[in-house]
Amino acid sequence: MFEAAEINAEHKDLIHDVAYDFYGNRMATCSSDQYVKVWDQIGNEKWTLTSSWKAHSGSVWKVTWAHPEFGQVLATCSFDRTAAVWEEIIGETPGPGERGTRHWVRRTNLVDSRTSVTDVKFGPKCLGLQLATCSADGIIRIYEAPDVMNLSQWTLQHEITCKLSCSCLSWNPSLTNNHPQMIAVGSDDNTAQTGKVFIFEYSENSRRWMKIETIITIMEPVHDISFAPNLGRSYHILAVATKDVKIINLTPIKDNSSIQSGLTKLDVQTVAQFTDHTCTVWRASWNVTGTVLATSGDDGCVRMFKMNYINSWKPVTVLKGDGAVIPNDAHRGSIASSTGVLTPPITQTARYIKLGSISQPRDLPWH
Amino acid sequence: MEDENLKTFLIPNDLCKSAGIAGTWMSGNKIGVFPYHNINHSSKDAPSQYTKNVPSSVFHVKHEVVLFHPILRRLVTESMGIFLNLQTVVENKPSDYKQHLQQFSVQYRSVIRASLENLRDEVLRATGEERETLQNFITIFYSVECIWHLCEILYIENIPGHVVIKHLLEWVRFHFPKYERKAAFLLSGESIGSLESRQDYWETVIGCLLQGRVEVVRALLSCHSAANSTHFKLADQILKSMPTYGVYEGVSVQEFNLRWKHWLVDTQSKIDSKLFISEKNLHLMMRLIVGEEMAWSEVQSQCEAWYELLAAWLFYTEPTVKSFELGAFAKRCISRMGTRMHHLDRVLLAAMEGDVQIIKEIQHMTENGWFVTHLMDLLYHCEQLEKWQTDKEDSLKLRHSFVFEYGNTLAGHKSLWQLGLNYLDHCFPDGLAAIELLLPRVPINDESKAHRVIQEAQKRGLSHIAHSVAKIEGLKSLRNDRMGNALVWALRSQDSNFASFLADKFLKKYVDTGILPNVDLLSYLGSCMMASDRLIFLGKYYQFNKLHKDKSYREAAKALVSLIASKFTPKFFWSTLLSEALTLLECDELLLSSNDVFNLLNAVEERLDCLCELDELEPLIRLGIARNLSRALTYEAQYT
Repeated sequence: MFEAAEINAEHKDLIHDVAYDFYGNRMATCSSDQYVKVWDQIGNEKWTLTSSWKAHSGSVWKVTWAHPEFGQVLATCSFDRTAAVWEEIIGETPGPGERGTRHWVRRTNLVDSRTSVTDVKFGPKCLGLQLATCSADGIIRIYEAPDVMNLSQWTLQHEITCKLSCSCLSWNPSLTNNHPQMIAVGSDDNTAQTGKVFIFEYSENSRRWMKIETIITIMEPVHDISFAPNLGRSYHILAVATKDVKIINLTPIKDNSSIQSGLTKLDVQTVAQFTDHTCTVWRASWNVTGTVLATSGDDGCVRMFKMNYINSWKPVTVLKGDGAVIPNDAHRGSIASSTGVLTPPITQTARYIKLGSISQPRDLPWH
Repeated sequence: MEDENLKTFLIPNDLCKSAGIAGTWMSGNKIGVFPYHNINHSSKDAPSQYTKNVPSSVFHVKHEVVLFHPILRRLVTESMGIFLNLQTVVENKPSDYKQHLQQFSVQYRSVIRASLENLRDEVLRATGEERETLQNFITIFYSVECIWHLCEILYIENIPGHVVIKHLLEWVRFHFPKYERKAAFLLSGESIGSLESRQDYWETVIGCLLQGRVEVVRALLSCHSAANSTHFKLADQILKSMPTYGVYEGVSVQEFNLRWKHWLVDTQSKIDSKLFISEKNLHLMMRLIVGEEMAWSEVQSQCEAWYELLAAWLFYTEPTVKSFELGAFAKRCISRMGTRMHHLDRVLLAAMEGDVQIIKEIQHMTENGWFVTHLMDLLYHCEQLEKWQTDKEDSLKLRHSFVFEYGNTLAGHKSLWQLGLNYLDHCFPDGLAAIELLLPRVPINDESKAHRVIQEAQKRGLSHIAHSVAKIEGLKSLRNDRMGNALVWALRSQDSNFASFLADKFLKKYVDTGILPNVDLLSYLGSCMMASDRLIFLGKYYQFNKLHKDKSYREAAKALVSLIASKFTPKFFWSTLLSEALTLLECDELLLSSNDVFNLLNAVEERLDCLCELDELEPLIRLGIARNLSRALTYEAQYT
């Protein structure tokens, strides 16, 4: 059984992305209204809007949190061709046009891209503070903050050219001595007749990012891509949101050619393919332990998939929007005027209500 | 094990319905769902069609976990204790290992029973929705205990020859206690008037007969006013002489069957001779105990459940029935009673049939995996699981998947997370990896929780997590301007970069305010301050400061010289350091030997070219050095 609590997000347009901090206690939302909002959980299901600011001059596509070891840090990317890194400062009064008791400052503006920046992701923390962006012009950029205590200094370390327009990227979170840095990139190009998922690896020998694999079995536009957190496996699991949901196992192979080149060779196996959404899948997101995959599709549903004890993936739950509106317990404060008058923080206490459900007989073939 | 019917849960929101939805994981079993419609970089950057002042909401969706209800807290914690003890016993494998397993099963059941009692007490006090919730729990856990008990009899307990009838009767008696109570009341003598005039007398007698309580039946019959009549005496005689199979009585099954058949024939002949006709109830009873079909059809309405009927009927018709034979008989009882099968019925039947479906059925009991996890773990250790699966490895994987899932569920709870870790410890190989992913994400709202998380990390050799938590706590302290606390955490985190950063802050504060913050802490930390060069410098500077305050100027001077000569002085601190040096140089008392002064001069000269801020100080320093040098040399010439 599922329960849900509603938080009114107050964006004036559709939300493009929602990201939660490491502990699930803070929520950042971004929207076509060009604003980023940050919410804090202060009690049991009590959420307060602590900051809201105009982050870009175009729709903000993605927002993502850095690991808390770097402080309270966010990165955003936008249609306005920039990506930005933000840090929260406590104790200063917010600037004009902003609301809240906390204040987020722009630490850097990354303006290298000539086109819309489609995705932005922080790298695994053991690599220091690194940030990867990808753009519609097919270039992936890796930035680094050499001094993690000073976030205003970022250097562009690498530029990787991917011949097709990029829509999404994912860092491989599993890093050991056996696994060098790895990034997966997806392209939503719909004209070229080539694979749309690329795997890049950082070569210590040549100090460059090299493409080690193109997944040719995926030829349709890719909208989201995500490595699963690693539960001590020797292989990697990649979820791809494309015309359907695909789960791919990438197993490093040790053979002569890989030892010579110093680059990993991967065995690519599609272990699951789900057409449950029956149409385009836009997003794929893994839970903390990488045991459940949640995908969103054009059928208006969020679907969850899980691996059972004999290592085969199965759909487990479906969430769908339904018309009935429930009365909202939220208390709403007054909206700040454009002169930037401070308003009391908006706190919402949302009750959990049980979600109604409908049962459907399985009519789709398993993989 | 998968669902055949996939459930769709509905988010009650118009915008979600019209635009579509997307989800991002929050933590544990929570997911944030929001209305979403895909727009990409190639579409126009303009307000979407969905803006109409319709508020966009984010829904925090979570799996309902009844186990998190405070009233079940004891169940959760105590069962964890039993689980851990069980794993220990299994690892050590003592000789009476199987015996132990049954004891653990009994322990689990007593924990459930204790919870049920607690729930029953609470439900009397509760009202409204809470009351309904508690009632629901009672129903669930009643079923859980009932099924568990049966599984214990069939799979865990080592019953010689698998002759289970006595255990089965005990099980039924526990769940249908009404006849025992009534009989006790009737026999207590509290009832006024003759017993048989009571409406419930014969019902009670027959009810007890059906539960195999032969002694009680005889006692009740002896209270009948006609107890001394021939047919009553005869009935009593028959009941007394009825052979019952007792596993430990040293009688073999064949021998028992012989005696029993003998008794059957004897009793049947007496019935045929119409010896009991005058009392129809007595007649019915006699017909029942010889297994006459018609008689049983008459009484089956007195049974609330098919398994009541099953136990009763088997006692009188198949007293040496084996556990694995129950399935077929069960089906017969079910069809005789025309039962509409509810969930509990299906599970009990599956258990009796030894059907692997039982696992799936148990999974569907809505107590979030508590039942299936603990029972399957026990059955795995009894080697029962592998009888249902095709191979031992699969049964291990199955058991592992339940324990893993349960551990994960608990690990996501703000108070029960430590219990979750204990379960994950017993999930080789990926339990530890799951802990590595989950432990750092336990939200920390105060320092004691941080200490607990660090302790749990260190217990499992996960020092990188301990260091990470310490670093984060240090950052939090820094944000709240608690520098001393931040430094303590920084040292614990073994992050020298962070420690140096803080040391700088301390020194900067001294430069700005003339006060070195947290001196108590610095004195306490002493030797720990080796983590970084900057920290060592801070430690030494603190020493100098202390000596100066204590007016041990000579030692202070020596400390200062070594500080200046060391390579660790941060740039911004030079002017402070040299000003301090100046005061010492200008002191009336001669504090520095000529050697010291030369060292000082050397150090200053080395750095002067790159420290242009010291322009003002430079001439003063040189003067001070020169004067001191002259005094020192003079003194040394005189006295050596």
